[in-house]
Amino acid sequence: MSATAALRDRPRRMPLVDFLSRPGGARLAVIALILIVWEVGVRLGGDPLFWAPPSKVVVAFFQLIGNVPVMTALGTTLWELIAAFVIALAVGVPVGLLLGLHRFMRGSFHPIVLMLYAIPQATILPLVILVFGIGPASKIAFGFTHAVFPITVTIVAGVQNIKPTLLTCARSMGANRRQILWNVVLPHMIPSFFTGMRLAMSADLLGVLLAELYVSQAGVGHFTRLFTESFEPQKLFALVAGLAAIAVILNELCRRAERRMSRWHE
Amino acid sequence: MMRAGPAIRAESVSQVFGAEDDPRRVVALDGASLDATRGELLCLIGPSGCGKSTLLNLIGGLMTPSAGEIAIDGQRVTGPLPKKVAFVFQESALFPWRSVADNVKLGMAFQGVAKSERADRAREALEAVGLAEFADHYPAQLSGGMKQRAQLARALGLKTEFLLMDEPFAALDEQTRMVLGEDLSELLARTGKTIVFVTHSLVEAVFLADRVAVFTARPGRIKTVISVDEGHPRSRSFMTSDKLARLRNQLYDLLHDEIRKTMVLRDPDGKGRT
Amino acid sequence: MSGMKLVYHLVQAAFVAALALAWYLATYNGYISPILLPSLTASLHEFWLLLASGSYWPDLQVTLTELGTAFVIAAVLGCAIGYLVSRSGFTVRVFDPLFAGLYSIPLVLLFPLYVLFFGLGSGSKIAIGATIAFFPIVLNTIAGFDYVDKAYITAAKSMGASGFQMFWCIMLPAAFPVVITGLRMGFIVAFLSILGTETIASLAGLGHRIVTYAESMDPAKMFAYIFFAILIAFLLNFLVSTAERRARRGPT
Repeated sequence: MSATAALRDRPRRMPLVDFLSRPGGARLAVIALILIVWEVGVRLGGDPLFWAPPSKVVVAFFQLIGNVPVMTALGTTLWELIAAFVIALAVGVPVGLLLGLHRFMRGSFHPIVLMLYAIPQATILPLVILVFGIGPASKIAFGFTHAVFPITVTIVAGVQNIKPTLLTCARSMGANRRQILWNVVLPHMIPSFFTGMRLAMSADLLGVLLAELYVSQAGVGHFTRLFTESFEPQKLFALVAGLAAIAVILNELCRRAERRMSRWHE
Repeated sequence: MMRAGPAIRAESVSQVFGAEDDPRRVVALDGASLDATRGELLCLIGPSGCGKSTLLNLIGGLMTPSAGEIAIDGQRVTGPLPKKVAFVFQESALFPWRSVADNVKLGMAFQGVAKSERADRAREALEAVGLAEFADHYPAQLSGGMKQRAQLARALGLKTEFLLMDEPFAALDEQTRMVLGEDLSELLARTGKTIVFVTHSLVEAVFLADRVAVFTARPGRIKTVISVDEGHPRSRSFMTSDKLARLRNQLYDLLHDEIRKTMVLRDPDGKGRT
Repeated sequence: MSGMKLVYHLVQAAFVAALALAWYLATYNGYISPILLPSLTASLHEFWLLLASGSYWPDLQVTLTELGTAFVIAAVLGCAIGYLVSRSGFTVRVFDPLFAGLYSIPLVLLFPLYVLFFGLGSGSKIAIGATIAFFPIVLNTIAGFDYVDKAYITAAKSMGASGFQMFWCIMLPAAFPVVITGLRMGFIVAFLSILGTETIASLAGLGHRIVTYAESMDPAKMFAYIFFAILIAFLLNFLVSTAERRARRGPT
C-alpha cells in the first residue's frame, strides 16, 4: 500500500480526543475542569460570605463594568500607572544612559543603584504615604520607585554588552564618537530598552497595586477593601479577575513591542 | 604616481599589554619586521597567541606599537586610516539592526562619502561579492559565508587601497572557505588591492598568498617569509597541484615546532590547564 | 585594590556622607516637619535602642514563622508538582505556559481574597507567601528535570540503569542546581510578599510594626524598624545566596 493511501485510510480519531491531545486543548480542558469543580464545590458547600461560584462572578463582573464609581476608580488607577511609568522613563533613561556610557559614573554610582534596587520597597510604603499623602500622588510615587530601576539597569546592560568588535569596526571606518554613539550604541541598546520597559510596567503595576491595597480613597484599593469588609465575594473575585486581565493585556502588549523591536537579534 | 618603497612597512614592532608589574603582562610582539608590496596578498600565519592579529591591528592603526614603527605608503601610522585601510573581521562585525545594503552605506557614511554616491557604490560592492539580491536582508537571515561576503562588500564599498582581513573565513566550514578563497583571489586580480590576510589554515595561506610570513610562538617575531610564485586569479588546478602540496609541507615544517612551543606555554605550571 | 576601584569607593562613601549630611541639615532647623522626617540622630538612636533591647523579636518571630511556613509549603508543592509535570513532554507543554502565565500577573491581587478567607492573622500572609513562592519553584523544577541533557540519559540507559538509578544518579544531580536556584528565588519572593502584605493588612510582624509607628506619628521608631527590616532583608538574601552557591558546588 502506498504511503498516501495508508494515511488516507487510517482510522480517524474523534475530534475531541484530537483536541485534547494538543497542549493548547489540554490546557483549556484543565482550566475548564477547575472552573467546573469550583462552581460545583461552592454551590454544594461553600459559605456565601467567603465563596462565590464562577457563574456569580461573571454576573458581578458585568455589573461592575456598569458601575460608575468602580470604573472611575479603575480609570484613576490606570492613570496613576501611566504617570508613574512616564516619570520613571524620564528619570530612568537619562540616568541609564549616563551610567552606561560614562565609565567613571558607572563605577561610582552603579553599585549604589543596585543596592537601592535590592531594598525591599514594602518597608518604605508607609513612609511614601506619609510624604505624599493618601491620594494618587503616593501611588504614582510608589509605582515610580518600582519602575525606575528595571529601566535604568537594562539600559546600562544594553549599552555595556555591545560586542567590542562592532565598536572597533566603526572606529576603523573612521566614525567619530558622536557617530558611534548615534549609529552603533543607541540602536544596539533598543531591544534591552524594550525589555526594561516590559519589566518596568510589571513593577509599576505591582507598586501601584500595593499602594492601592494599603490605602486608597478613590482607586481600586478602595473597592477591594469595601468588598472584603462587606463580604461580597463575587464582586471581590470579579474585581480581582478584571485587574488580573488588565495585567495580562499590558504584559502581552509590552511583550509584542519588545519582540518587534528585537527582530534583528539572532 | 608610483611610490617608492614598500606599500606597508613594519619595522621592529613590539607590542606589550599590561604594565611592568602587572602579573598578566603579555609581550605579544617582539621586534617583528615585515614589508608588503603594492598589489600583493600577504598572509600572516602562526600559532595561537603569536601576535599576528595584533600586528594586523597595528598596521591598521587601531593600536599604536609599544616600540618600532609602522608606515603605509611611507607615512607613519598613528591612528585609524579609514580612507586607506578597510578591515574584515573574523566575527561578524555587521550591524545586526541594519540591512546588508544599509550596513555597506553606513560604512561609507563613517568614512565620509557623500550621501548621493552611497547607493550606487553599495550596489557595485554587493554585486562584486554576489550578494546583490540580498541587499535588503538582515544579517540574522544570512548564512555565515554570506555574512562574511557582506562584510567584504562593506570593506570594498570604502574603495580603500588596502584590505586587512583577520581570519575572515575561520568560522566557516571548509567548503565555504574554499569557494570564498577562490572568489577572493579573483577579486584581487581584478582590483589590484594590497591585502594582508591572517589565517590559521596552511592550505588557505598557500592557496591565496603571494607571500606567507611565518610567525614564531609568543613573543611573536617573523620567523621567515615564503614566496608563492603563482599568478592571480588562482585556479582550481592550483589547489590540487604538487607545488601547493610542497609549499604546504614546507609551512608545516616551519610551524610545527612553534605550535608545540605554544602548547607547552599554555600549561606553564603544569597544572593541566587547557 | 586597583586604583580606580578605590576611587569609586571613595566617591560612593562621599555620596552617602553627603546624603547623611543633607538629612541632618534638613531636620536641624526644623525645615522639614519632624513628624515627616525625624532627625538622623534620633532615627539612629532609636535603631540602636531597637537592636540593643531586642524588642524587635516578637515581630521578627512572626515574620520569620510566616516566611518559614510559606516557604516549606511552596517548596514541597512546587518540587512535587514540578517533578510530576516534568515526567512527560506533553504535560510540560500543557502546564509550563500555564504556570508561567499565572506568574506574570501581580499575584498580590489574591491577597484581598486571602484576607477574606483567613482574616488579618498570619494565615493570609502564609497563604500569599506560599502562593507567590510556588511559581518560581515549580517553573524551575520543571525546567531542571526537563532539560537534563539527553546525552546523559542515553549514556545511562545504554549502561543498563534502572528507573531508580536513573532518577537518583542522573536526573536529580543534573536538575539539582536549577531547582536550588528556584528555591532561592521562591524564598526571597516569599519574604518580599510577606513583608509587603504585613504592611497592607496585618496584626503583627515587621511590616505591620512599621505601619504602626507611621500611623502613631512616631517616625523615628518607624525609621528604626525600616532600617531593621532592610538589614534583615540583606541578611536573608546573603544567607540564601551563600546556601545556593554551596549547594550548587557541593554534590556535583
